Amino acid sequence: MEDIIYKILGAILTIITAFVVGITYGGLTRKVIARVQNRVGPKFYQNFFDVLKLLSKRTAINHGVMQHFAPMFIFTSAVTVLMFIPILHDGLFFSNFSFHGDLIFLLYIMPFGPLGMALGAGQTGNPNSAIGVTRGLSQMVGFEIPFVLSLVALMVQFETTSVTEIVNIQVESGVWMIFSNPFAFLAALFAMFGMFRYAPFDIVGAPAELASGPASEFGGKYLAIMMSSSSIFTFAKLVLYVNLFFGGAENLVELLIKTFILYMVPVVYGLVSPRYRTEQSITYFWKWPLALGVIGMIWAII
Amino acid sequence: MNIVKDKKSQHIVDYIKEFARKNSLFVMAYGTGCGAIEIPPTMTSRYDAERFGIRGAATPRQADVLLITGYLAVKTLKRVIRVYEQMQDPKYIIAFGSCTINGGMYFDSYNTINALDRYVPVDVYINGCMPRPEAVIEGFVALQEKIQRGDADNGKKYQENIDWYRENQMKVIKNWNMPDYNW
Amino acid sequence: MSNDLVLENEILNLIKSAFNAEGNVIKSRRVEVFVKKDQVSSVLLFAKEQRGYIHLSHSTCIDWIEEGEFELIYSILSPKDKIMLYVKTRIDRDNPVMENLDGIWHQLNTYEREMREMYGIEFPGLIGDKEFCLEDWDEIPPMRRDFDTVEFARKTFYQRPGREDAKDVRKTLTEQSGEKIPDFATKYSRE
Repeated sequence: MEDIIYKILGAILTIITAFVVGITYGGLTRKVIARVQNRVGPKFYQNFFDVLKLLSKRTAINHGVMQHFAPMFIFTSAVTVLMFIPILHDGLFFSNFSFHGDLIFLLYIMPFGPLGMALGAGQTGNPNSAIGVTRGLSQMVGFEIPFVLSLVALMVQFETTSVTEIVNIQVESGVWMIFSNPFAFLAALFAMFGMFRYAPFDIVGAPAELASGPASEFGGKYLAIMMSSSSIFTFAKLVLYVNLFFGGAENLVELLIKTFILYMVPVVYGLVSPRYRTEQSITYFWKWPLALGVIGMIWAII
Repeated sequence: MNIVKDKKSQHIVDYIKEFARKNSLFVMAYGTGCGAIEIPPTMTSRYDAERFGIRGAATPRQADVLLITGYLAVKTLKRVIRVYEQMQDPKYIIAFGSCTINGGMYFDSYNTINALDRYVPVDVYINGCMPRPEAVIEGFVALQEKIQRGDADNGKKYQENIDWYRENQMKVIKNWNMPDYNW
Repeated sequence: MSNDLVLENEILNLIKSAFNAEGNVIKSRRVEVFVKKDQVSSVLLFAKEQRGYIHLSHSTCIDWIEEGEFELIYSILSPKDKIMLYVKTRIDRDNPVMENLDGIWHQLNTYEREMREMYGIEFPGLIGDKEFCLEDWDEIPPMRRDFDTVEFARKTFYQRPGREDAKDVRKTLTEQSGEKIPDFATKYSRE
């Protein structure tokens, strides 16, 4: 009985933590971008105001059933991914379902949100949404391949598919994955650039050319749900990366430091980059990241 | 919309809502006249309007504020009305320059409207030809104060007086072939 | 730049003798020629093919309402000589038809569409939408001088009170400088 109560409390706590941390990271990103552009920038908690305001808007857009479902799809997907990732190494509240799910399940469930979004955006009938969805799915084909290669290299090297096991092995041996298989890490890092969609890979949103792409017909509460779920998803992916390559985290402070450093890599890279075209983006992932993934795989087998 | 029954609690809810609305204004990136050239300096590093939580929105569905930056030809007015009707409540309009107030230097032109608030409700007028970025920011601050006071809900006013606005709009737009939006 | 206007007089005399046209040198690097309506295309082609006036800079129309004529101006530029040549022609105001010349410069199409909308000049065979800048316009073409914009604006658009004391600027300026407004200007004046 106590177990279940801990589980429920832990799940709620995890979602709240992911939401707060993800939104704060979004605000910090805006601050960093502003400082690089020699501006003062918004307050780092500005994104909380944005979400709160969007929630308080009256929304009356109706394009059909799927359009109303799409934000829920993304939210569900983000929370599901979060639930199957161990947040802390041996936390009482933060373990959730991580013992039951493994990397293959995560690989399977992660594209669920974008696909639901594609259905919803398709129903709005906005041409910008359709182009954005096409671009997003093409880009996913691009970065999934180095990502999967890198994860398979991991599974071969540790002979397990459980994230918890991988973290335990790293902690026991004292060697982080980033040192024992740097090529797999690099491939996964490049895949992360595509996942977070900062420049130069922001071809899906692309405010200047696509009017924010798939989200262009979503306003008010739907946009708030999409913002918060993307924050949760960002946090989940960061935690997954920290677990796989940086030996997990003992406590929240360690986790925050590791995730923030990792998160700043695509942000800072994006600050100095213009936007790619779609085919440039895909060929980018199919060149060096793919090669690094293959090398990582060979490294793991040897 | 009342979330809670109790009047005092509703007051607190309203305060929080208006505080959030005030501090997060998404501006529709739609330049209508010559004043659109004042927006880039307002948004970029010299005057940096993002300090006040003002940022651009790409589509009318996501936007709160519509900037009418200067004179409006009848052809542009048609587009402005379409954009305004696609925006979600609560929505605000900030009108720039003399042209939107009384026609400015185009008061006798055959194709520009003279008083914007006959066609769409306007929250804040910024006078000048053109207003400088400082004036633009002051206009935004005036709008924020208006929102905090709670009397900036002009979307509702537009819906209530839609007949009057439609009559004025149809007077200048002769061939009315616009879709009806569900607000 | 030399001030003896050799190149300018050369092109002017060439066109004068070839087409039996009027014309004069306005100043350094500016030459104008007045030709008949049906000679415009040959003058333009001659200047373009033979003399290197390959750039069409502008084309516009002036409403000479007192003389009952429209004046069409084609400004063409030679990058080699650095001379702007104004080819001017007059057409009847009551029956404004002009030859469609967008085969010589394709960008003339845009100017001709504008003139068709703003002055009501017909160009037979002109390809393009009837509406260019205006939408649903059913008055007389707005850039004609007998179109009263003030009256139209008063009739169509709501005038916010408060600017009744606005004066005609020309009156104030002429009073200051002691000049006199010409008769043709007062005839279609706003007051």
